[in-house]
Amino acid sequence: MRGAWVEPGPADETLTRDEAKGVMRRLWGMLRPYRGQTILATLVLVGQTVCLLAGPFLLSIGIDKGIDPGARSRPDVAVLNTVAAIYLAAALLSWVLGRLVIQRVARIGETFLRDLRSRVFRHLLRLGLDFFEREQTGRLVSRMTADIDALQDLVSQGLVAFVQNGLIFVGAIIFMVILSWQLALCTLVIVPPVIFASRWFRRESNRAYLEVRDRIATNLATLQEGLAGVRVVQAFARERAWTRRFHETNEAQFDANLETVRISVRYFPFIEFIGVAGFAVIIGVGGLFVDRGWLQIGILAAFILYLNNLFEPIQQLSQLYDTVQKAGAALHKLFELLDTKSAITERTGAVDLPDHGAFEVDDISFAYLGDEYVLRDVSLSIAAGERLALVGPTGAGKSTLAKLLVRFYDPRGGTIRYGGVDLRDATLDSLRKRIVVVPQEGFLFAGTIRENIRIGRPDASDDDVAAAIEAVGLTDRFASLPEGLETEVRERGSRLSGGERQLVSLVRAALADPEVLVLDEATSNLDPGTEVAVERALEKLMQDRTVVVVAHRLSTAARCDRIAVVDDGHLAELGTHEDLLAQGGRYERLFSAWTSGVAMGRTA
Amino acid sequence: MDSERAARRAGWRLMYEAIRPQRSWVIGGVVAGFLWTGAKVAVPLLAAAAIDEGIVKGDTGVTVRFVLIMLAVGVVQAICTGLRRYSAFRIALRAETNLRQRLFAHLQRLHFAFHDEAQTGQLMARANTDIQQIETVVILLPLTAASTLTMAVVIGVLFYYSTGLALMVLALMPLLQIAAHRFSHKIQPVNLALQEELGDLSGVVEETISGIRVVKGFGAEKVQAKALDHEADSVLTRALDAAKLRANFLPLVDLIPTLALVAILWYGGHQVIDGKLQVGELVAFNSLVLMLIWPLRMLGMLLAQASRASGGGGRIHEILATDSAITDRPGAVSMPDGPGEIEFVGVGFGYGTGPRVIEGLDLTLRGGEAVALVGATGCGKTTVARLLPRFYDVTAGQILIDGVDIREITVSKLRRGIGIVFDDTFLFSDSIRENIAFAEPEAPIDEVRRAARLAGADGFIEALPDGYDTVIGEHGYSLSGGQRQRIAIARAILADPHVLILDDATSAVDPTKEHEIRSALKEVMGGRTTLIIAHRPATIALADRVVLMGEGRVLAVGTHQELLASSERYREVLAHAEADAPPSDGSPSDVGAAGVPGA
Repeated sequence: MRGAWVEPGPADETLTRDEAKGVMRRLWGMLRPYRGQTILATLVLVGQTVCLLAGPFLLSIGIDKGIDPGARSRPDVAVLNTVAAIYLAAALLSWVLGRLVIQRVARIGETFLRDLRSRVFRHLLRLGLDFFEREQTGRLVSRMTADIDALQDLVSQGLVAFVQNGLIFVGAIIFMVILSWQLALCTLVIVPPVIFASRWFRRESNRAYLEVRDRIATNLATLQEGLAGVRVVQAFARERAWTRRFHETNEAQFDANLETVRISVRYFPFIEFIGVAGFAVIIGVGGLFVDRGWLQIGILAAFILYLNNLFEPIQQLSQLYDTVQKAGAALHKLFELLDTKSAITERTGAVDLPDHGAFEVDDISFAYLGDEYVLRDVSLSIAAGERLALVGPTGAGKSTLAKLLVRFYDPRGGTIRYGGVDLRDATLDSLRKRIVVVPQEGFLFAGTIRENIRIGRPDASDDDVAAAIEAVGLTDRFASLPEGLETEVRERGSRLSGGERQLVSLVRAALADPEVLVLDEATSNLDPGTEVAVERALEKLMQDRTVVVVAHRLSTAARCDRIAVVDDGHLAELGTHEDLLAQGGRYERLFSAWTSGVAMGRTA
Repeated sequence: MDSERAARRAGWRLMYEAIRPQRSWVIGGVVAGFLWTGAKVAVPLLAAAAIDEGIVKGDTGVTVRFVLIMLAVGVVQAICTGLRRYSAFRIALRAETNLRQRLFAHLQRLHFAFHDEAQTGQLMARANTDIQQIETVVILLPLTAASTLTMAVVIGVLFYYSTGLALMVLALMPLLQIAAHRFSHKIQPVNLALQEELGDLSGVVEETISGIRVVKGFGAEKVQAKALDHEADSVLTRALDAAKLRANFLPLVDLIPTLALVAILWYGGHQVIDGKLQVGELVAFNSLVLMLIWPLRMLGMLLAQASRASGGGGRIHEILATDSAITDRPGAVSMPDGPGEIEFVGVGFGYGTGPRVIEGLDLTLRGGEAVALVGATGCGKTTVARLLPRFYDVTAGQILIDGVDIREITVSKLRRGIGIVFDDTFLFSDSIRENIAFAEPEAPIDEVRRAARLAGADGFIEALPDGYDTVIGEHGYSLSGGQRQRIAIARAILADPHVLILDDATSAVDPTKEHEIRSALKEVMGGRTTLIIAHRPATIALADRVVLMGEGRVLAVGTHQELLASSERYREVLAHAEADAPPSDGSPSDVGAAGVPGA
């Protein structure tokens, strides 16, 4: 379930006037495919509002022409019946049109949202890894959830009401002016104070509710800690102190809540009084007008009903204003995201990478940010079918080099070629097909093991999947699972152990069947039961492929054809295990420290 | 069924108890509500009088008089609406706050076994959602009372003026109620389904972004995009379902009162023509009918809310009705002032109704002695550690400290006398200083530093940007498992207990650093009876004696060397522990850890 209580909503941000204009313009552009329908829906809405507002107007005619036409003529039952029938028809028509509007607007709005979701997500997927490393997962997820949900709220609850209330307000004034502009002028005196009061109320209660939200979050945090840490609290006999502590945050929540009540207690009585005052104005001033013969009693009756149509919309619009504003802010953020350009794109006229080939890393430099270079002047060639280990301390740049080899990033200077083609000139499809990276931890998506394997090659048949499993020698292992390949891995693979996840990840790579494999070796240990299985599967996977391993264990490095020692962004040493040991440099020092560590660990 | 009824009754009683202390506010609110009703209904009636007695008869003086009365009544109405609103919310907020306080205090006292069963999330829901349900119903109660009264008065007035009109209106209005009821009944599952689909959708987004390297590495963007489209389509379907229900309901809410207005015009019009009704009364009817809409909807809301709230109240009552199993006996004494000798005599224990995990345990810890408990996972070591501070009471036998049964000692004195470091480290989201000084918040900083030094934590704490004032936890600095454990040890040291329990307290500490704190721990253990639960031989070596446990009993006792030599079982347990050790900040089982760069 979503919606934790402390989750910060997309609230409290407001747009400047210019930003709001920009958002509106762009929204109108995006609505292009729906424009015809939007205009139609608006027309229906106008029609419905007219039907709704026709009621009091008809009432005044019914009273003044039918029931009580004054001293000069007699009541006319036929007029009364006709007007009542029209009133009924208008009410029914308004009902029918109302249903139509809600359905129409929902269809337009929800379809628009569906397309927006799809569009934003596809855009996200196109963005380079630099973007994802810069932004927090939570914030990106909230673009797709909280922000679009704010729009969803507007579509499902606010939009029709917002437009309709505006129409009713304006329409009521028009009808009042038509009936009697003099009385209308007098009645409308009450509108400005209501608008001001409502704006004050919205501002004040927003401020107060933000405070309430903070205090609730604090109070719940205390509550949660008091519960999660209850054993520690009891172990040190601190129950009373914690109860006191909770008392503070709990009372703070009470105070903040009461403040919102105080604000509403100033607003609502004022509004109710103004309502009565408006009523009194209509009766008093209207009565005077009737006495002068300027208007008839029926018009008074209509005005009393229209009074409601002035009040309700102001109050509702004031409340809906927030929904609209939140939606505007959300749209603004979404547009910003859509404007973010991807750093890694396919050039026009890109060619497919050749099937085989060697890597040529030629004098590359790279910085994630500004001038903080993590790689400088690295040159290196990797022959087809060779196994190369990258070793070096954390932060030396070995993982970065691996990311450049698979074009998660482009180098700032220099080139990387595969089979003679610059990676930047290659089609992304062929690149991802030839060069596959297997990350440290087997990341699994919700779904079955089979679905997870198929990520490697979506069009693969079941036989292909079986063949890939066989290729890394894991057929028995997966068959032994109670539900076999149909085992649900649940969220983030919580049901499978780390080692098993890694196995799925290896099969995935085997299914993709790339020419080049870039492995980021796991730093943490696997469960002893699967460690061996992973080693074996990995060995099979590496056969007949070019392999680059970011090695954390020197035992892995020692098994490779050549070892590249990366230190402080430079390629410090390069050669076979024996060569480097003989050379007596950094690698030799690392290796001897490691071997003595092994000895220590055994005796510990 | 009966138990549910009883639970609901208990829920109502709970609500009543929460409201009772605020009697004066309740009375004030109800009186204000009644006055408000009177004023509200009076306004259209005064208008009717102004029309019929003043305007129609051409008597401006009468009209003005009625208008002035209307304004005066408007002032009363405004004051009363403010009063009733304030009192309703105040009562409800007070009830909510007090109830939550009561619940928290109670939960803090409840025994471990209760907390073992309950999930934090569930308890949070009790203290949050359930209490809010109660708050809402308490708000609605006085407001609805006044609104219901309004409804009754309006209907009475309608009947007084025109029975026929009153019957017509009465026939229509319940339709509104029925429609609202059916709507909320139908929309709930649809909204729930929509929420679920939205949850699935955000699931896809979340995992795609978390696993973006895999997605990009395999070029699987299209697969994920399709998965999202699928979820977005489901959301669309559900959202349109909800829209359809709204389309059926919302326009109806406008239609029904309008039909009543049409009836008033037509039927009332005929009555006026026939001289049975005055035209001002006809006008007033319009306003009166509109007054019925809110009370009817509020009544529906209240009924639905009351059912939810009494359920929530029942659940809260259930917790409050649970008594703590661990309490002070009458005449309980203070911690004995002896050397700290601990005896387990024929102790048996099982969790809840489960099987005995400890059976016939006999064990003596001499005052000031350090004893290590060693045994395979699930042999009952941790249970022994948790029986001593009375987190649970033994089911058989007894535990004595300096000859006094621990059940004869006041719980707080016993626990302050025993310092424990739990196997699962829990630290609070406070500063490091507050965490270490948990037992003695007033402890001077020097004592905090000393405790940290003895726990081998001073080094890394001082290296932190804010030192001892560094806030840790969810919204603060995150520490490694080993660092957290060392703070927990410092916390126990600062409490300066008579008896110290270290339950696997250094399991996550990097073995290369453990030797640093070992000598310090030796200092701490001096003069205290200490119970150590450990797997690593180096930690076990801290103890004067080692007790090998198995199947809830003591299997062998001796020094580490003696047991190594004499007990096959002991050697097995140690070897197994070595292989099973969980990964930690130093990965004790990672043979390469010491030497590999970047590990």
